[in-house]
Amino acid sequence: MNESSHNEASKKVLVIGGGIAGLTAAYELARLNLDVDLVEKSSFLGGHAIQFCCKADDECQKCGACTVEKRLLEVIQEERVKVCLRSELTGMNRNSRFSYTLSLRPLHIDPKKCTNCGICLEKCPADGAIVRGYSKNNVPLYAIDENHCLYFKDKSCKLCQDVCPEKAVTLDQGDSEASGETDAIVVASGFKAYDPVDKPWYRYNINKNVLTALELERMLREKGEVLRPSDNKVPERIAFIQCIGSREPKLQHGFCSQVCCGYAMRMAQAISHRYPKIKATIFYMDIQNCGKDFSNFYRKCRDNIHFVRFTPSDVCQGEGDQLILRYLDEKDGHVVEEVFDMVVLSVGIMPGSSNAGLADMLKIDLDEHGFFASADPLDGTPTSQQGIFLAGTAQAPKDIADSMAHAGQAARRVAQYLGVMPCPK
Amino acid sequence: MEEIRMNTSILVIGGGWSGIKVACELVDSGYRVILIEDSTTLGGNALFTHLVSSSRDQLSSLMYKVRDHEAVEVLVSTRLVFMTGVPGDFRVWLEQEGTVLERAAGAVVVALEAEAVSLLSAYGLQPAENVLSQSQVEAELASPGESEQFSGDTSKDVLFLVGLQQEGSPLVMERAIRSASEIQTLERCQAKVLVGNVKVAEHGLESLYTQSRNRGIIYFKVKDPPKIKQDGSSLQIDVFDSVLNRDVKLTPDMVVVEDAFQPHPDAARVSRVLGIGTDSEGFFQQNNVYYLPIRTNREGIFVIGSARQPRNLKHGWTDVENTVLEVRHLLGEGKKLVPIETAKVHRAKCTICLTCVRVCPHGAIYWDNRAIISPVACQGCGICASECPMDAIQLVNYTDDQMEAQMLASIEKEVEAPQIITFCCQNSAHEAGQMARLFGSTLPEGLQMIKVPCAGKVDVDYILTAFEAGADGVLVLACHKDNCKSQQGNTFAEWRVEDAGRMLEEIGLEKERVHFATVASNMPVEFVRITSEMEDTLKRLGPSRIKKQAAA
Repeated sequence: MNESSHNEASKKVLVIGGGIAGLTAAYELARLNLDVDLVEKSSFLGGHAIQFCCKADDECQKCGACTVEKRLLEVIQEERVKVCLRSELTGMNRNSRFSYTLSLRPLHIDPKKCTNCGICLEKCPADGAIVRGYSKNNVPLYAIDENHCLYFKDKSCKLCQDVCPEKAVTLDQGDSEASGETDAIVVASGFKAYDPVDKPWYRYNINKNVLTALELERMLREKGEVLRPSDNKVPERIAFIQCIGSREPKLQHGFCSQVCCGYAMRMAQAISHRYPKIKATIFYMDIQNCGKDFSNFYRKCRDNIHFVRFTPSDVCQGEGDQLILRYLDEKDGHVVEEVFDMVVLSVGIMPGSSNAGLADMLKIDLDEHGFFASADPLDGTPTSQQGIFLAGTAQAPKDIADSMAHAGQAARRVAQYLGVMPCPK
Repeated sequence: MEEIRMNTSILVIGGGWSGIKVACELVDSGYRVILIEDSTTLGGNALFTHLVSSSRDQLSSLMYKVRDHEAVEVLVSTRLVFMTGVPGDFRVWLEQEGTVLERAAGAVVVALEAEAVSLLSAYGLQPAENVLSQSQVEAELASPGESEQFSGDTSKDVLFLVGLQQEGSPLVMERAIRSASEIQTLERCQAKVLVGNVKVAEHGLESLYTQSRNRGIIYFKVKDPPKIKQDGSSLQIDVFDSVLNRDVKLTPDMVVVEDAFQPHPDAARVSRVLGIGTDSEGFFQQNNVYYLPIRTNREGIFVIGSARQPRNLKHGWTDVENTVLEVRHLLGEGKKLVPIETAKVHRAKCTICLTCVRVCPHGAIYWDNRAIISPVACQGCGICASECPMDAIQLVNYTDDQMEAQMLASIEKEVEAPQIITFCCQNSAHEAGQMARLFGSTLPEGLQMIKVPCAGKVDVDYILTAFEAGADGVLVLACHKDNCKSQQGNTFAEWRVEDAGRMLEEIGLEKERVHFATVASNMPVEFVRITSEMEDTLKRLGPSRIKKQAAA
């Protein structure tokens, strides 16, 4: 952590999490002339939202994915924001300021030397060992995933290090630690997408043509096409199943994830527009609103998409990688069996896996679902600790627009706490 | 750059709770506020009986603050009638009971609350003692001592109708759940709800819904509006229940009908006075992701709370905090550094036709003896420059000469591959194109990307010049419809491409050589698809005849 390049007299803020909320908080704080240390545990900034595709049909669907790109670009150009990738908070002490320690996993690819040529990824023999960031604004663009890398398994391969023309790859680097001091903290550690592996009756990881919505987003963003994983052909009938993991009191998830109806409808619309022959069906409990002017949008969707008010309890195997869903007809209750070539599970926004650990270190509370609890019923940003604020889905499920607004609110609260909102004469 | 003075007073239009909150937050940040309200009192219509006492205390202290603070001027029975000027220097004319008041402000915050409108007639119901709107039942429940309906121990079966004559929203749902829950706690009262989609996409709302069911409230989820017979005080509701798979007849003692939220009655007029757009339902702020959360097409004019979308108070207050940040960045401590000019008007060429004034989506242009472009308000889109019939306006960083030079320099004469001059909007196509290159995607060999600040900067001259410079084809790539940062830059660009296509045909060139397409900044794969398709088209058509003639 390069402390000397910060202005000593400026107040500092630590932002935990580099997703859209963390990026927005960092950006807004920097605009207020505060120095920001942005700590991100993965190799890339952007969180989940940077992986989302544009869902325009003949017009913008207001999903907000492009605003994430813009915000990421703004942050990497902002001098007052110092980014620390692959770092996690390991401890925090409060005295007159906040003192904290970080664990740092090494950036095997040096951002100062890497020219983004991509030769390492091209030559790498192990699947998934070198990953590319989602956006051109991810710096460095490439990263090594130790879980798949042969060097980290048995030191058997150093190909990337050898072929890199800029000598930007250094495999033999260990973890390190760093410490710092800050005057305020913003917790923007995001969420965990519900893993449908816990519901094997949906056949996720069993039948290749069952995907999560996040996987569909990535496919659309990367390939611009919808292809069945089993045979790389364009599907004819796609089913979306809503509320996977959400609105389930039995799982302690007695909450609505707020984004799934919106993203499923937008993706189904975008797909129908691009492939008029594809028939999309959305299986739902209650359709939730998204954005402004929702009733017009919903009406437009009902022209193209078949809505079925029923949550299928199983995804059954059909002939040759096809999938069968059974539901009760709304009019007379008779059982309908329909064949689909692809099933998309609309997984919900769950509390992040580091929430409990972070709450403990920072001495702030979690709510009954496991999200960070706000201390004010009318303001979702303050915690029980003065100077520690919440931003984004770390506090509760919300969409991109609300995450950005929430982060802006947190930035303002930080500014008030630090006494830096100047008074005009 | 130059430093200009910015007026540190802010006009807040609308004295509901969001207006009151933003006024208090702004004065806390050292600004002055003029708070106008068209009715006779501040505070809006919301009852907020469900707020915990600490929140209600918060509201009371805000009310005192806004009335007593020396930096707040409260004007009731007052509405905005006219406005001129630019951010940092707006002049407003207000009307208060027949008197006209003039004020000046650096920024404007629109907080005109949405109106709750009863849907009784939509359900075919007449108002009666036992047929109430949501607002009426809230008023009854708020004063239990005075309520005729809910005093004493008559048993009552109350049926709520929600989401069957409108799609509804979490705000509509929350009001129904809360009132139904209050009624359910009364002795010998039973609340039932006939609902379309149960809207729970708000923090804590699913819990509230579950608790209400645990209290014994019965929800019927139905698809179609019920058939209602109202005969004096007797009510009969017939509805198809998809769980029982048969028609169900209900005979409640009382029916409560949802309200719809509509824009404030004065919204259309005020939006015209301010020069800001509305969405297709009439709420302030166009439906454009670049404006979220509180911006509009005009710098210095912000919209908060239910003025832009009916949601709960918490969201309105998030809007307030974001507005304070934006105001601080705009007005600072009363001074702002701005570029001397982003767009330059040539005095001699300007005929004051006012085309630029009309087409500017940001309200940044006014006039004196020539058109004057405010450096604070100008967002550098270039629509004025490309529309000006006298070519009197030049964007300082994208002059016509610079653009022409770029086009000429980009053409690779020796190369066989079709030369495709591609005007790329900096907000979308240019980003996508750079990403495609960085990711090593295969792009047409003859692709020549030329950045423009907005597709609206591309005028017909540029397209024709591109062909003269040696292009085989021209692509104009813009943001998707409704995604343009300048709202209509992409529309202008599309029209110009159509015009250019017609002109090409007139001179014997194929009109497919010029093409308009939209693409998002995060979709390099789409950029590749569009440019590759263009390359295929141009390979089929062969080199441009103009290029061959120029070479000869």
